[in-house]
Amino acid sequence: MASIKGLQSSTESDQQPIGDNTSTPVVSLKRITKTFPGGIVALDNVSLEVYRGEIVALLGENGAGKSTLVKIVYGVYTPDKGRVYVDGKPVFFKNPRDAIRKGIVMVSQVPQLIERLTVAENFLLSLESVGLASPFTLTSRISKFIERESEKYGIPVNPEAKVWSLTYTQKQMAEILRAIVIGARVLILDEALTYLPVIERRKFTKFLLEFKSHGGTVILITHKIPEALESSDRIVVLRRGKIVATLGKEEADAETIRRHMFGEESKRLTEALPRSKPGKRKIIVVERLRVLDDYGREAVRGVSLSVFRGEVVGIAGIVGNGQSELVEAIAGLRRAVDGRIVIDDVDVTNKGAKAVRSMGVGIIPDHPLRLGVSADNTIVENIAALFSKQLVIDWTEMRRLAGHVIKKLNVKASSEDDPVKTLSGGNIMKIIIGRELLYAKKALVAYNPTRALDEVSAAAVRGAIKSRAINEGLAVLFASEDLDEVLELSDRVYVINTGQLYGPFDLDTTSRDEIEKYMVM
Amino acid sequence: MIAGILFYATILALMGRNPVEVIYALARSFVSPGIVKDFLILSMLGYALYVSFKGALFNIGGEGQFYIAAIGVIAITLSLMPWSPGQSTAKTILVIVLAVFVATLLGGLWGLLAGVFRGYAGIDEVPVTLLLNYVAYYTVDYLVYSIFRGRHTYGYIRTDEIPEAYRLNYYLPPRTSSGEGLLGSLSSLAYQFLREFALYYAWVIGLAVVALVVYFVMYRTRLGLLIRIHGSNSDYLRAIGVDVCRVAVATLALSGSLVGFTASLYVLGYLGRLPYPVEESTANYGYIAILVAWLAVLEYKLIPLAAYIVAALRDAGINLQVAQLGGTEQTFISIGLLLTVFTVVKVFTEYRIEVRHSG
Repeated sequence: MASIKGLQSSTESDQQPIGDNTSTPVVSLKRITKTFPGGIVALDNVSLEVYRGEIVALLGENGAGKSTLVKIVYGVYTPDKGRVYVDGKPVFFKNPRDAIRKGIVMVSQVPQLIERLTVAENFLLSLESVGLASPFTLTSRISKFIERESEKYGIPVNPEAKVWSLTYTQKQMAEILRAIVIGARVLILDEALTYLPVIERRKFTKFLLEFKSHGGTVILITHKIPEALESSDRIVVLRRGKIVATLGKEEADAETIRRHMFGEESKRLTEALPRSKPGKRKIIVVERLRVLDDYGREAVRGVSLSVFRGEVVGIAGIVGNGQSELVEAIAGLRRAVDGRIVIDDVDVTNKGAKAVRSMGVGIIPDHPLRLGVSADNTIVENIAALFSKQLVIDWTEMRRLAGHVIKKLNVKASSEDDPVKTLSGGNIMKIIIGRELLYAKKALVAYNPTRALDEVSAAAVRGAIKSRAINEGLAVLFASEDLDEVLELSDRVYVINTGQLYGPFDLDTTSRDEIEKYMVM
Repeated sequence: MIAGILFYATILALMGRNPVEVIYALARSFVSPGIVKDFLILSMLGYALYVSFKGALFNIGGEGQFYIAAIGVIAITLSLMPWSPGQSTAKTILVIVLAVFVATLLGGLWGLLAGVFRGYAGIDEVPVTLLLNYVAYYTVDYLVYSIFRGRHTYGYIRTDEIPEAYRLNYYLPPRTSSGEGLLGSLSSLAYQFLREFALYYAWVIGLAVVALVVYFVMYRTRLGLLIRIHGSNSDYLRAIGVDVCRVAVATLALSGSLVGFTASLYVLGYLGRLPYPVEESTANYGYIAILVAWLAVLEYKLIPLAAYIVAALRDAGINLQVAQLGGTEQTFISIGLLLTVFTVVKVFTEYRIEVRHSG
């Protein structure tokens, strides 16, 4: 199989007849239980069957067990109890490679491509790891192969392009094509499409339907109910480690799903956020800002904006259009090559994070695990590093602050001495948000502030941000890939596209479609 | 540890030696009063390096910091404030305190230098601290050869001996009679241990000081917290507005100053003078302490235990040579095996092995 030829044959025809008839599930989970250190039961006796040619959406609040479930299918975790079956036969995956060899491939929200390599080089590595290419295979052959496959599946991918030069959408397309060429029969999409604008997402939906008509199976994880309703045949709702509902396409509607996901709490979701009444004083002023990305390209091109006291300004845009660099520059974490950043009349351009922080600015950064926390340290230590200014730390006071954050944002932790790495992604995000909201006195600069949070938690966070703006005059500037969030939380909206800022848009007079147009033009 | 020793015995058998004899000699070292000296010094140095390793700063420069500090002690006690007959006790104490202080400062400066290279020039601290060891050796050699060259050295090139008044030792008289039988042997052994601890009483105090300072700094102060976070995610520190370069400098300076402090006690409590060339006659404590810190898997509480094990194995190595049961390689083999087994065990304490049948 170690040749391109072998690879062609593996993708052109499903050489291994999988789930020949729809009565045998392609993937079946039987009585799966998974407990994590600290006694957290992530999955409790869960059974699920997924058939050939169907798209199944998995929905659930933070910590419901969605990610754990697919990680078990993908060989990342092994279950404590229960068994996984593929084509009716029991399997034991030691790692994702075992799963890939059985045709199960996962694509996640963050593209897993090596940025410095070309698309073809990335494909070669994957093909090699599953034995479909050898280390001596020429990348030119791989390129030709990618071009053919790309045409066949209608997924436009340029094999010669360096990954860092691609947009987020192109990277995700390359990821999906890669999954197909390494022989995916079951495609697991873990929030892979969630942050794409509807227009872009539709292109993927079309492809998924095509994939399905050829006998492919898709397991879609999302916390966006409309996304699940758009393409899936069946919706499975998880809650606290158990399947609480399985709904067919015809019986599923947003309200029913929400009720299953959150129970009583779902009622809180319908409350719309009030608009704030901005003051007259400008707290954040950005003038003609130019910032380079890690590869020396101009990621932010002459951006100017301002945020008034008590105002919430949102920046919409598809991932990788310069919003991350913009937020980092304002936070003092990235140098500006030109332009000015002023916080409350103080010029903080290129003065570093210390200068920005000393102005009472809270920061929720991109890359939360790298810039937002030190995962090896405990919750209270992470909080003390920011809040404690004296030589000797007042641990009692720090514990009080940590306790406050845990309680306020309903963080699922056994105590403030839990190492951050033992928390789930959503709970880590809550620690960051809670800490920064506590720290922010004048302004909050955020990137994807509710990333990884379920609808109820996200709504609570948005409510908390808005209330700080309205009641305490906090100036908030945030960028988010989630357009719904931008529309819901902002008083004024900008759109960022290839480093240029468009707007501001008045939400009373601008339609969602119009804003999306600026995002994808 | 037992698994490590059994593994070692197997290798010995394969090498054609009598494993029982070697293991007996090894075991004796673990209860030998001769290991007290190494145990105390290595514990102090283990804590000193623990500080920098916790901050993911690999201070390989313990040797350099040790000897550059030692020269400070020589300068104070022999040149700048030499002992004169009839000098007051107050002055004697002042000289000792000053010598310890200067050594601590010099060790700290040597660490700080590496920290500056690391923090502000972005040069990795491993080659820097390693090279600074040689700079320290040759600086000490030059000074011993020139301005600190002794007059009463029987023709040897070395410094004079530090006056008795400045030496930090207390001699308990040898015990003339001990009881009969096992009880007698045990009480005699205990007394020998007591004599060793008394002889190095200043090191016992020094170890307590170092252990307390390290605990206090690392777990009670902001600097300690920043060092520990630096060890796992320095990007987070940067994002919350901490000057990461300063943390690196402070960490290496603190680590170096603790090494310097230990060096002063070593010179005042044991060495008494500096030889020439110093690099050929060091006990390599600066390097061995790296082993201590890692054998303790950077666990604060385990540093003395690791120092005890390493001290015993060093002692065993010497005993084995004397008994002609092997050469210095025995020490390294035993320490190496112990570390290997320890590492494997550590992996198993963090991960669980489950055997499942896929059928």
